[in-house]
Amino acid sequence: MRRMRVRRVAAVALAGALVAMGVASCGGGETTAGGGGGEQSLKVGLAYDIGGRGDKSFNDAAFRGLQRVQKELNLEVKDLAATEGESDADKASRLKLMADTGYNPIIAVGFVYANAVKEVAPKYPNVTFAIVDDETVKGSNVANLVFAEEQASYLVGAAAAAKSEADNIGFVGGVDTPLIKKFEAGYVAGAEKINPDVEVQVGYLSQPPDFSGFRDPAKAKTMADGMYDKGADVVYHAAGLSGNGLFEAAAGQKKWAIGVDSDQYVSAPGDQKQYILTSALKGVDVAVFDFVKSVGDKTFKPGVQRFDLADNGVGYSTSNPEINDVKPRLEELKQQIIDGEITVPTEP
Amino acid sequence: MPLIAGRLGRIGLPVVAAAVALAFAAAVTSAVLAATGANPLAAFRQMIGYGSQPDSVVNIINRGTTYYLSAVAVAIGFRMRLFNIGVDGQYRLAAMLAAAFGGFVALPPVLHQAAVIVVAALVGGLWAGIAGVLKVTRGVSEVISTIMLNFISTGIIAFLLRPNLFAVQVQGSNNIGTPPIPPSGRVPGFPLTGASIQVFGLVLLAVAVGVAFAVLVGRTRFGFDLRAAGLSPSAAVASGVNVPQMVVATMVLSGAVAGLLGMPQLLGDSFTYALDFPTGLGFTGIAIALLGRNHPVGIAFAALLWAFLDQSAQILDLFGIAKEIVIITQATVVLSVVVVYEVVHRFVLAQQQRAVGEQLGADERVAGATA
Amino acid sequence: MTQTQPDTPAPGESAPPAVELRGIGKRFPGVVANHNVDVTVRHGAVHAIVGENGAGKSTLMKILYGMLRPDEGTIAIDGETVAFHSPADAIARGIGMVHQHFMLADNLTVLENIVLGAEHLHGIASGARRRIAELSDAYGLGVQPDRRVEHLGVGDRQRVEILKVLYRGARIIILDEPTAVLVPQEVDELFGNLRELQREGLTVLFISHKLDEVLAVADAITVMRDGTTVASVRPSEVTARELAELMVGSELPVPELRESTVTDVPALTLEGVSVLSAEGRALVDSVSLAIHRGEILGIAGVEGNGQAELVEAIMGVRPVAAGRVLLEDLDITGWTTRRRREAGIGYIPEDRQRHGLLLEAPLWENRVLGHQTQPPNVKRLGGWIGGWVDRLGARRDTRRIVETYEVHTPGVDVPATSLSGGNQQRLIVGREMTGSPRVLIAAHPTRGVDVGAQAAIWGFLREARAEGLAVLLVSADLDELIGMSDALYALCRGRLVARVDPATVTPEELGIAMTGGMPGAG
Repeated sequence: MRRMRVRRVAAVALAGALVAMGVASCGGGETTAGGGGGEQSLKVGLAYDIGGRGDKSFNDAAFRGLQRVQKELNLEVKDLAATEGESDADKASRLKLMADTGYNPIIAVGFVYANAVKEVAPKYPNVTFAIVDDETVKGSNVANLVFAEEQASYLVGAAAAAKSEADNIGFVGGVDTPLIKKFEAGYVAGAEKINPDVEVQVGYLSQPPDFSGFRDPAKAKTMADGMYDKGADVVYHAAGLSGNGLFEAAAGQKKWAIGVDSDQYVSAPGDQKQYILTSALKGVDVAVFDFVKSVGDKTFKPGVQRFDLADNGVGYSTSNPEINDVKPRLEELKQQIIDGEITVPTEP
Repeated sequence: MPLIAGRLGRIGLPVVAAAVALAFAAAVTSAVLAATGANPLAAFRQMIGYGSQPDSVVNIINRGTTYYLSAVAVAIGFRMRLFNIGVDGQYRLAAMLAAAFGGFVALPPVLHQAAVIVVAALVGGLWAGIAGVLKVTRGVSEVISTIMLNFISTGIIAFLLRPNLFAVQVQGSNNIGTPPIPPSGRVPGFPLTGASIQVFGLVLLAVAVGVAFAVLVGRTRFGFDLRAAGLSPSAAVASGVNVPQMVVATMVLSGAVAGLLGMPQLLGDSFTYALDFPTGLGFTGIAIALLGRNHPVGIAFAALLWAFLDQSAQILDLFGIAKEIVIITQATVVLSVVVVYEVVHRFVLAQQQRAVGEQLGADERVAGATA
Repeated sequence: MTQTQPDTPAPGESAPPAVELRGIGKRFPGVVANHNVDVTVRHGAVHAIVGENGAGKSTLMKILYGMLRPDEGTIAIDGETVAFHSPADAIARGIGMVHQHFMLADNLTVLENIVLGAEHLHGIASGARRRIAELSDAYGLGVQPDRRVEHLGVGDRQRVEILKVLYRGARIIILDEPTAVLVPQEVDELFGNLRELQREGLTVLFISHKLDEVLAVADAITVMRDGTTVASVRPSEVTARELAELMVGSELPVPELRESTVTDVPALTLEGVSVLSAEGRALVDSVSLAIHRGEILGIAGVEGNGQAELVEAIMGVRPVAAGRVLLEDLDITGWTTRRRREAGIGYIPEDRQRHGLLLEAPLWENRVLGHQTQPPNVKRLGGWIGGWVDRLGARRDTRRIVETYEVHTPGVDVPATSLSGGNQQRLIVGREMTGSPRVLIAAHPTRGVDVGAQAAIWGFLREARAEGLAVLLVSADLDELIGMSDALYALCRGRLVARVDPATVTPEELGIAMTGGMPGAG
């Protein structure tokens, strides 16, 4: 059955590929294929950051958006993963490959694609691109989908401080990059808003250029265990796949954990669920879906699209009823941020 | 006739060995593909079709350039039975410091590029030299020390790659890197007909390094000492080779070449050392050096083959075949080339022993006839 | 398997021979193989197979033990023709082999080593222990089953190896060069054990090239030369010299010097040279001597008494702890090996394969080895790359050496490993005598080479001596030392214990001097 599916996909893609390559190889970068048809024939391509599908976090959020596209808009979709340590040229090749085989629009998930999009987008003016987490790439066919991660982190920071009985909370960052620092900054600020005396333990799993911190649950578990042992009773992570290690530690120590990007209460295994207080939501899925939709109904606008609390592009999850007692306070803060009464810092 | 056997042994048979190994690897890969329900022939056809497009060719050459430098760095060590497993850390540290240097200084063209390249070679050489010194003074295996130095260089890079130190952060970007090297320090590429991207200008650097490697190892006394120490350390000592000195010199040389390996990418494309600078190239070099039998020309073919597989495999994902299948191909080809080469080597040796035996027999017959 | 063969038949004249090899032939690429080999071994005999290195003894024994299959000929055991496909077949027929290099696991006990791989015979516990005790007593081997092999001496290990094959039911035991690794006292013990085996009705095949030993222990001797059997003799009927001449097929070369060429100009002088081990023990202890131009100075000594260390100290490979080394009147104590070689010290190392050659490199590169900094091997010296290797010049000079020193080789591009030992040594001697050295350090220059090469090397040494070369000759061959030396010292535990006059001393006297006895030290 699986074999059948692969064959069918292969056959369709093959046909597209042959046509596209024939054109592309003699016409150079000028010519593009694919997008020529109507809106109904859109084929959506998505290229992941390191980690790929299955991290239950950032990349999976993008994948959920893609699934929604497939289901609700009834479009053909394709997602490709990155390889550890690859160069910009590899990423550019991946985007070009999709453009050449008729994928349009194309979504690049992660700031590491910035140079690749910068190189490829001008060569395919008829293909629409979106890049997540980067606003440096400019172009009439490029949308920059960026998020106010610090705002969501602020709210879960506040939740953590409110729920903490020890006045001691933790933050596990995946890799010490500016992006993850944004999560840390918001989280700390939110916690201190609730309780100026709260102690926040901060740790990062790896230092760039070592990106293993995003997919090293064992290390995350060790770090989280250490934080709990040192008195923390709520720990938040911004570490992609590694976050699973935090949940294990939380379940083992019966303490609170806070998820990130997706609603991880929903995706966690049954025995860990109850310890996931809430998750800082980053609406990559919404952004992906909205982007594709805008291309489909020709309302696409290039440039930066910021997703924040005001438009529900980021937020916090309430699927765990344990959060309900602090919810009114969080809603209050949320409104203050939307109203501009609180400005959340982006750097710690 | 013995001469022909000798020539064949030195050039022809390794080529045969490589061909056999490649065929075997293709067979194994086909078997795996078939077992997972894919059509191997169609997959290979796709790979060749995609891999021969002009843009792909450029990418293969560029990637091969980097791989080549990496493998030469490893091969220099291998020639002396030193296993420089730390090429990875050496090139990353060298590329980062050279990028920072190139981004902060203002120099006229030519001088600028040259200075960046020299800095990279120096950093790589000194970093690898630490392992060499540790080996001769404290007896620390270079395998251990170089791999540990990899971690240390990762730490150093993370430390230095911060705003206020060597890094700048562009507004609106989540990336962080050294300040971009100004145009005066960049190396323009070569256009290739039909391709929308350019071949790294520093492909010439790789060629120069290859030639230098061949000349140094094959034609100079230094190279002779190096090879002697690799073939038989005890005989090298008895012949007057200062082995500790050679260990340090070889490690420094290996590291210097390792330092160069980030240069084509840095000066030809990235212009900055940022979070997305390619990693892990040093380990690829080990496999390629093995595949190329530590020979400057062999490595060149191996590097291009490797780059071709990496590049052309990208298309497989589109057809629902995991592109990681080429890792099986690459691993199999390395493993089988090592085995096949050993078999061929013994065959050649037996040939030569027979030739010596025949010669002896002939001499004796002549002696018998005259006696 | 248990012992299925009947107990030793009465060793009457009518009984078939224990081993009968007829017309055995074996061809290999390049190596002297066997052809027309005929050997008959009586039951209960100690039968020696003698021959020079490379005469085909080992090949023959490997055929008998099933490790190699003959191309032609027949093997009969107890009158029955057999075909062995592996050593397992040979063991099943009661043949056991004790290799020259022991195959024991150091960190296991004697019992464990014996039982390893033969667990099905008597189990691994009390049954095995009982059997080992029985065998040990029956053959007077005195093996202690619970000692760890790493604590055993060489002789003990050999006895464990013998017991190992007996344990597996061997009635015919092949011993490959068993005395090569033993000191004289251990040799005597081994011979005692062999007689014990013989008394119990076992047949022993004994491979050796040490003729005195063969004459002492064997009942019958088969001589091999150039891959075939050339004679079968009784020890009572031949002398060692006759046996040696049978082995080489011609008259033996005699090491001897003609008129003295010794001058009073010292070429190499050692003043109180000491070398310490890593633990600080003196391996060479205050050795003082002077070698003059035109003189060959011999050093005799039982192996392991500091000869190797002395040589390495002179070559600068090993640091000198005390004393001075002078080349003519230059103090070279602190010089590197390379500088010493450049200054004119040639070196024939003791272990030519490990120290004298790059086995996998072609001959011409081996000619460069040790002379990397000197023409005709390099040109335009200098710089950190040390100049260019002159491939043409080195090749040309290698061809000259091949011709002058009669190295049998099809060319200078074949790897050194494809040459025979004698030819490898000729190449080394030729190389080290090129470039008019002032001093030659020759460690065991004729060890393990054929008679032709031996005679040739002696000739080269004589010629160089006549031209004023000073030679330090370290050797284990007492005849060579006595015949080739102008002056002769005995080295014992790192000290020069005696100076003897090579013109008058006998090998026996020299032997006593080597072990520290003092037969009128001079």
